[in-house]
Amino acid sequence: MALDDTRLSELLEQSHDLHTDAMTTTRVALDEYVELAHDEPLHDDSWRDVDPAMRRATLLGGLPKTGLLAAAGLGTAMAALLASPAFADKTMDVQMLQTAASIENLAVATYDTALTLDFIGGGSANGVVKAFVEKTKEQHQQHAEAFNAAATRLGGKAQDQPDPVLLGVVNNAKPSLTGPAEVVDLAIQLEDGAAQTYVANTGAYSNKNARSVAASIMGVEAQHVAILNAVKALLAGGAADLIALPPAAASLPAAAGSIGFPNAFYPTTDARPANEGALQ
Amino acid sequence: MRRRNRKQELAISEAELVSMTHDLEDAHHESLPSMRDSLTEWSESDDDIRSGITRLVSTPSSRRAFLLGGGAVLGGVALVGSGMGSGLAAAATRSGRMGVPSATSAQKLSGDLAVVALAASLENLAVGTYQAGIDAATKGSLGEVPPAVVTFAMTAQSQHKDHAAAWNGVLTGAGKKAVTGVDLTVKKSVDKAFAKVADVPALATLALDLENAAAATYIAAIDVVKNPAGIKTAASIQPVELQHAAILNFVLGEYPVPDAFAKATGARTVKDKIG
Repeated sequence: MALDDTRLSELLEQSHDLHTDAMTTTRVALDEYVELAHDEPLHDDSWRDVDPAMRRATLLGGLPKTGLLAAAGLGTAMAALLASPAFADKTMDVQMLQTAASIENLAVATYDTALTLDFIGGGSANGVVKAFVEKTKEQHQQHAEAFNAAATRLGGKAQDQPDPVLLGVVNNAKPSLTGPAEVVDLAIQLEDGAAQTYVANTGAYSNKNARSVAASIMGVEAQHVAILNAVKALLAGGAADLIALPPAAASLPAAAGSIGFPNAFYPTTDARPANEGALQ
Repeated sequence: MRRRNRKQELAISEAELVSMTHDLEDAHHESLPSMRDSLTEWSESDDDIRSGITRLVSTPSSRRAFLLGGGAVLGGVALVGSGMGSGLAAAATRSGRMGVPSATSAQKLSGDLAVVALAASLENLAVGTYQAGIDAATKGSLGEVPPAVVTFAMTAQSQHKDHAAAWNGVLTGAGKKAVTGVDLTVKKSVDKAFAKVADVPALATLALDLENAAAATYIAAIDVVKNPAGIKTAASIQPVELQHAAILNFVLGEYPVPDAFAKATGARTVKDKIG
């Protein structure tokens, strides 16, 4: 047989191009697969719950026959993986993390605003309240960073904006922030909403790292609520001077001992929706 | 602890404040049915749990963190015994007569149920410790005890009883016996510390240690428990323990929310002895 060197070179070049394209596509898919494996979703066996016949059909058919994945040759299996429940869980996890970050962003901004009010951050402020607001703001900043780190670890983007729905609540409340009690009321709403959301999310995350992050933060928000509840009661009782460290415990009303923690089990009825602060 | 002698006139009456607290208590009790539903779901959800043969599924590092999270978390205070010890022991015995079926200390549990039993034992220990504190206060052994501190102790104790009942509901729902005993490994440290308790700050410090240990244990548990309903239950309890801790910090004159993140440091392990 006579060898056509020119044609052979062209074919080799085409083959090389196809191979390079395939490797690029596969590498991306494999990276995602490795990331998924490292994250160890809670429901390891959820894919096995799918009817075996359905599973085979998904793997062997009903998949794109054209496009980069099909051209990769290995795309059939990878496409099935990308469509698997594990990846759907990952998307939900990212949404929840972004929503959580957005709640934290709003908390930081709200406490920032509060500190501009003289009775919270200025000369007429109670020193303990001012210190609490400053430190709490810092803690929320750390929370936002932690939630965003968890989101980007799962391939999502960091959320640097406030929760859009709660932002409306805060903006509506701003004109009425005429004294410490009003600020405390607003803070309780935000902190309790955050705590309830993270308690709910802890039970919903499929990614272990995301769950750990939420679990490490939910109790801290609950602590903010407890202290704010106590401060609210003292302000309502005209006993602002009892807001001190250490407090004059003997002067505190009996009910003040329990006002901070009204529930034996932290509720989740007011948890924010999972995608409320998610990036679109 | 500094105390002011003057009584402060409040703009609202004690009765009004008590009424507000009762409203909050009503809200709490209204939350219990949904909690019971969640626990029922857990008890019924998994054959492995019913047979108590669930294996702990976790990454080696998280499992190590949980298992190695033991050690003396409560102050390490070596004490000379005193009459307080008997008060605590008596309180622990009373906590065992709370109307739940007895469990033998030799009940073998593994996996998620072992974690549940540990949690129940810690809650029982908290109940008993608060009772001992209340008894000591009643006897006048702690000096002047502010009314708010008594209210705190009684409310926190009541919530720990609810927590213990919740965990025991999971055990009995899985065909196991309820845990009426306490974490004996921790109790050793508690007894030592309690024997030295002579005033409210010392009692508050002991209570704070217990609350923080419980909260840390729940953080660790959330990392290793496999059953989603179990994770939800632990997630609903851990924040409340930390709320107790925040108020105790405040009473002690410490910054009430010192940490931005709760940790598993000091968590108890399933190796603790339950009696």
